[in-house]
Amino acid sequence: MTADIETFAKTAEANTPLRMQVLRNIRNRPTASGAAIAIAILVLLALLAPVITPQNPYDLASLSVMDNRLAPGETGMTGITYWLGTDAQGRDMLSAILYGLRTSLLVGLTATAGALAIGSVAGLLAAHFGGAVDALLMRIVDFMLGFPSILVALILLSSIGRGVDKVVVAIMLVQWAQYARLMRAAALVERRKEYIEAALNFGLPTRHILLFHLLPNSIGSVLVVASISVASAITLEATLSFLGVGVPVTQPSLGLLIANGFEFLLSGQYWIAVFPGIALVLLVMSLNLLGDRLRRSFNVRGP
Amino acid sequence: MCTPMNVPTVAFACLLSIGLSGGSAWSQTLRIALSAEPTAVDPHYHNVTPNNALATHLFSSLVEQDEKQRLQPALAKTWENDGRNRWTFKLRQGVSFSNGAPFTADDVIFTFCRLQRNETKVTASFGRVTANFASVTAVDDHTLAIETLQPEPLLPNYLSDIAILSASIVPHGKITYDLGRECGVTGPWPVVGNFNDGTAAVGTGPYKLKSYVHGSAIDLERNPTYWGEAEPWAAVQLLPVTSTGPRFAGLLAGDYDVIENPAARDLGRIRNDKRFSYIVTPSARAIILQLDVGREKSPAVKAADGRNPLQDVRVRKALSLAIDRDTIIKRLMDGSAEAAYQFMPVGMFGTLPNPAKLTYDPAASRKLLAEAGYPNGFQITVATTNNRYVNDSQIVQAVAQYWAQIGVKTEVDAMPSTIYFPRRAKREFSVALAGFGSTSGETSQFLRVWAATPDEALAIGSANYGGYSSEVFDRLIREAIVTFDDDKRSQLLQKATVTLLDDMAFVPLHFESSIWAFKADLAVTGRTDQFTQAMSVKPKK
Repeated sequence: MTADIETFAKTAEANTPLRMQVLRNIRNRPTASGAAIAIAILVLLALLAPVITPQNPYDLASLSVMDNRLAPGETGMTGITYWLGTDAQGRDMLSAILYGLRTSLLVGLTATAGALAIGSVAGLLAAHFGGAVDALLMRIVDFMLGFPSILVALILLSSIGRGVDKVVVAIMLVQWAQYARLMRAAALVERRKEYIEAALNFGLPTRHILLFHLLPNSIGSVLVVASISVASAITLEATLSFLGVGVPVTQPSLGLLIANGFEFLLSGQYWIAVFPGIALVLLVMSLNLLGDRLRRSFNVRGP
Repeated sequence: MCTPMNVPTVAFACLLSIGLSGGSAWSQTLRIALSAEPTAVDPHYHNVTPNNALATHLFSSLVEQDEKQRLQPALAKTWENDGRNRWTFKLRQGVSFSNGAPFTADDVIFTFCRLQRNETKVTASFGRVTANFASVTAVDDHTLAIETLQPEPLLPNYLSDIAILSASIVPHGKITYDLGRECGVTGPWPVVGNFNDGTAAVGTGPYKLKSYVHGSAIDLERNPTYWGEAEPWAAVQLLPVTSTGPRFAGLLAGDYDVIENPAARDLGRIRNDKRFSYIVTPSARAIILQLDVGREKSPAVKAADGRNPLQDVRVRKALSLAIDRDTIIKRLMDGSAEAAYQFMPVGMFGTLPNPAKLTYDPAASRKLLAEAGYPNGFQITVATTNNRYVNDSQIVQAVAQYWAQIGVKTEVDAMPSTIYFPRRAKREFSVALAGFGSTSGETSQFLRVWAATPDEALAIGSANYGGYSSEVFDRLIREAIVTFDDDKRSQLLQKATVTLLDDMAFVPLHFESSIWAFKADLAVTGRTDQFTQAMSVKPKK
């Protein structure tokens, strides 16, 4: 009997559309659903930041160094009550964290999308053409993966200067290699299947086969890995900013806020580093939890 | 019990035990925690503050700088100049080295030779003074004559950096200043290792070397043959503790008697504690904004009329008027800095005794901007290091706030010093933060290197990245650096300083302060050259 029921359950699961399975998989897991809700709230806060924050932390004229290093809950000369305190420049920490979230999400998403695009194209070309193209592209990938990503990004930023756009470029250049490797593996499997053989025999143009047959059928696993990589892109941005080569000091991201507050920890002014730290942990952890659940649902192995 | 290893765990226990044993007599060993470790015992190895400070314990020089960097006689009792190139130094009699060898003019000549036979050195700057020597002769055992190639009124200042070695550390015949015959030295010249293991570390300083263990500790003991007043400490231990937190915790725990460079913001924790005390001493390190005044088009300025507004003196004065130096010092530096109204602190040679205060007046600043044709301001980017000077990038951000308030749209480009210095040398900035500390104790050093129109033959203007060029100023500084008469030179330097302040191509912000924290039963004298010395520490009477 029990065996029958299990078989039945498995068949039922197999018959449900994949999308529904994934959604159910997330909803049934308290950690995953909690992470999804947290991400939704953080994204919403980031989007609404210019409307809901009491201060524009990027506008130097609205800051006052007279209000610097106030404890959470104190009211400054500008009349604003700083619920999370202020940093050394008199920046409202709450406003700075919400604006920092915007930067982190913007950098994480655009850098991942860019890396995904470059990596997918490279992976597809390598898989389809094989031979010299494959060898050349994969040696470049090996070369890129051989370096610690933080080192490559540091060298890049040291030479091209700082700024949000440059951080995005640096992270893209660091991360595209893993997508290329993954895409190539997936595409190689697909390419051996009959429908591609058929398409080739029909004499369809290569561009058509690549874009409409190979790409849609291989990209699933890559997308899942990308969802986890958003978190690592955000962490990389935070690390670069913490090291002082990321975003400009007048437009702090979460990493730079933590770096700024780090030196005040021993002096007892914990709020400058701790609150942005909590925001960053929350964001990265939620993205990781959700990405991990997605990965398991699709049964994809990471690069 | 209270060793550095167990600070975090037993700090509290240590505090308790000190509390209980309070009032006990001073142990004769003085323990000093350093924020930067000397890289060698060899005094001619590397010209950096920690090494030079260590050298003053073991060696003496002909002339010494006191805590305010004023010259004092040391191994030379008197010196005089004939108004041109000939100097005569009368040496102190009855001085002997820590190995018993008597001190004579030969030791000085040997030292000058060694500066040029110094294979293991890291920096060449100790040898620079001898490059200007035509001849050095021992008139008798205690009289030395130096003939220079170019007139050099600051020769005694430069000689105050040169620690005198003993010729007895090498086998030698008759010592003469003749490098062609190796000055009479018959054996190999001493290298850095001979000093670090103690064999060549023979000096006439107040202490002698007991042991030097790199990364761990430098142990000194009192030199009984020292020519000056005997030191109160039988032994001194210099411990490198480079992290600010552990160094401060070590003082609280009783592991160290004196620590250098605690963070100013941490001082609140010992301000009301009777067991500890601290001293804040203005240093000779000035923090200055260097404006690009030399070019019609400057890379990081954008104005509506397409010109470089920094070329207008009214704009430069407006930028200075917009900065509230007192607030920056109070809120960002925690009070451990002094507002700068000129380029070296009052009291140093050639400075103005009463410089006019550079006031904070945003209304006057806006008015000047409007007069200059920029009522709506312009765009500018200020470049700064973020790891070189105390709170460097924070200071520049505050300046940016102030400039934003008078309508000048200001951005900050902060970067590590390894990237910053090469870019500044290529003149990629329009406004650059500069930190300058004087080693000679004279304001002429800043003026000639930073503000003079560049001239390689005279070694002036090498750091004039803003392209400042003023005929009046150049005439004054060129005359000052070859003027022997102190009063006259001082007047020339003061006039040059006034000219430079009138032109405001350099906006002085403040002088960094050095801080020492120590146990309350000690008295510590702070030095403007930022040297940490056991000689500056005495038991409180």
